[in-house]
Amino acid sequence: MIERRMLLRAGLGAAAGGLALGRARAEAEPYVLGTLFPMAGPNAEYGTIFTEGAQLALTHLAADKLLSRQVVLKAEDSQGTPQGGAVGMSKLVNVDHALYVLIGFTGVSKAAAPIGTRAKVVMVNGGGVGPDLAGLSPYYWNVIPLASAEVSRIAPYLVAKGWKRVALIYMDDPFGNGLRKSMQTDLPKAGGEIAGLFAITPAEQQFSALAAKVRDAKPDVVYFASYGAQQAQIIKQLRDNGIDQQLVTYSGALIPSVRSLPQAEGLIFTVQTAPWSATDPVTRRFLADWQATHKELPSVYHQNYYNAVRLFGLLAHGLEQQGKPVDGDSLRAELLRVRRFALVGGEGTFDDLGDLSVPIDIETLKGGQPVKLD
Amino acid sequence: MTAYLLNLAQLAAIFGLLAASLNVLVGYGGIFSVAHAVFFGFGAYAGAQIALNVTPDVLLVSAAGGLVAGVLSLALALPALRVRGEYFVVASLGLQMVATTAFTEAEPVTGGLGGLVGIPPPQLLGFSLASPWAFLAVCLAALFGGLAVMRLLMRGSFGRSLMALRDSESAAEAFGKNVALLKTLAVALGCTIAGVAGGLFALQMAFVNVESFTLDQSVLVLAMVIVGGTGTLAGPLVGTLLLLLLPAALSFLPGIPPTEIGAVQQAIYGLAMALLMIFRPAGLAGRAQGKR
Repeated sequence: MIERRMLLRAGLGAAAGGLALGRARAEAEPYVLGTLFPMAGPNAEYGTIFTEGAQLALTHLAADKLLSRQVVLKAEDSQGTPQGGAVGMSKLVNVDHALYVLIGFTGVSKAAAPIGTRAKVVMVNGGGVGPDLAGLSPYYWNVIPLASAEVSRIAPYLVAKGWKRVALIYMDDPFGNGLRKSMQTDLPKAGGEIAGLFAITPAEQQFSALAAKVRDAKPDVVYFASYGAQQAQIIKQLRDNGIDQQLVTYSGALIPSVRSLPQAEGLIFTVQTAPWSATDPVTRRFLADWQATHKELPSVYHQNYYNAVRLFGLLAHGLEQQGKPVDGDSLRAELLRVRRFALVGGEGTFDDLGDLSVPIDIETLKGGQPVKLD
Repeated sequence: MTAYLLNLAQLAAIFGLLAASLNVLVGYGGIFSVAHAVFFGFGAYAGAQIALNVTPDVLLVSAAGGLVAGVLSLALALPALRVRGEYFVVASLGLQMVATTAFTEAEPVTGGLGGLVGIPPPQLLGFSLASPWAFLAVCLAALFGGLAVMRLLMRGSFGRSLMALRDSESAAEAFGKNVALLKTLAVALGCTIAGVAGGLFALQMAFVNVESFTLDQSVLVLAMVIVGGTGTLAGPLVGTLLLLLLPAALSFLPGIPPTEIGAVQQAIYGLAMALLMIFRPAGLAGRAQGKR
């Protein structure tokens, strides 16, 4: 009898010990953040830029000891394709158990969104600007203004400068078509007109014939909307083929391959307000630490993905303080409860869809550096 | 982990079926096509439309995919079949380019580059197949069903005539084989099965757009057939497992900085492919030329 009691006590003790150990292990388990960017191929440049911004924010989260658990980053190469995005998202959700995934690119986002939504994993876009990325899922948020907002900002500026006839070169995809529709609405409203519409495809590399057609349209200004390395090709070939009108574009041009191109000198573009002169501590710290490492100003993509990770830190911190679990549902509830967050660039406000609204600047490239115009 | 592996297994079964369907053209018929993703795409779009507008029943979706791809293959491939060898490769390349543009432009049907979103979870005769295990079982049934049909056909007079055509088109013609009919049937069979795979792909992804049916995809499927070994039943399956699972396995490599992960994986992947073709030129499951 005594032996049975002792055995029972020992068994219960072992079970209790096991439970305590399990709880301690669970507490020590890190929060897993995922990245689903193209890391090879023609769009790898974006993947690297996006990741660098997130990495700096992780360093700051760790230094601040904002959260009770460590935060780790798991990277997956989306290959820039829907299939690659779906496989990568499945791995992040089911193997790495990521609860917050940084994402970019429309096709990848649309393929990954059903997987993330089913698993209630938050996905945050800081790079894609296609208008159809708004409201993709309750768990899909945007920390970047979408293309339609950039067009609304530039249209009155072009007309005010006397550039009323605009030739529009646009990518024939949801992003480009969304931008075209915005331009067709906003430009006439501001007093301008479309001199010509020229659709291009992602694989196109030769723009000499396009340049001839643009010249025939006799525009005052040429607006182009493309992405990746193709943008440098467009600028160079338009200039080489005698298009000397002002070139204008959107924030996607802020990548090294465009900035380092001599023909891109004077390029005008819209971009969310780069708050490098702001005095709030979050922006100052981001800027100081970025410049200490990279010896140059960050881009808005660095800022956006920094903000995406910082947003996770702030939301998870709030939930920890309330003693709530940190998961997709609670993160979303916390976002909609708080709405306003101290981010790089000042206080950011999120709407019901989880989209961040930010002011937009008009800038130009001078010596490869963005300079504010308006 | 299980859900991830199930997801990969579903994709492997679908792409195994797709590669096996291309093997009918390349391995048995000697018809080198670099446009097979087009027929995969026809099947996927047809299946997605059925799932979105009628029912996500896997039988109906697959049947619609196969039917549309099979019929369109006849309409599109027949003119191209007038040429042979490397000229057919160029003709199929043209077909691939035209089809990619058509997928992009036919927005009311394909959703353009934005694609078709919100494809509902699959069903079978009213029963939900939302469970990954259930859908995997359907994918495997389609794969092995397709392989069984191919085995049956390739061992019969059709298959033997097709292989005679592959080895020497002139000799086969001299022996009274109807070359045009054989080629047409091979293309129709291969493309119909590719369409079935496309329908399953649409249900598996719950989203389809043109980026899944580009030349890159066609080349990948062709590589699956060649790396695995042409003209064998097992070859395309082995090639699919290798080319689909190797990148997934490489993503588990520890210690790679996040910004370098893509470049490192691509380098290893490319090197492995090159070495394989140097040391196993007939493919992993392929037979040497003299043993065919």
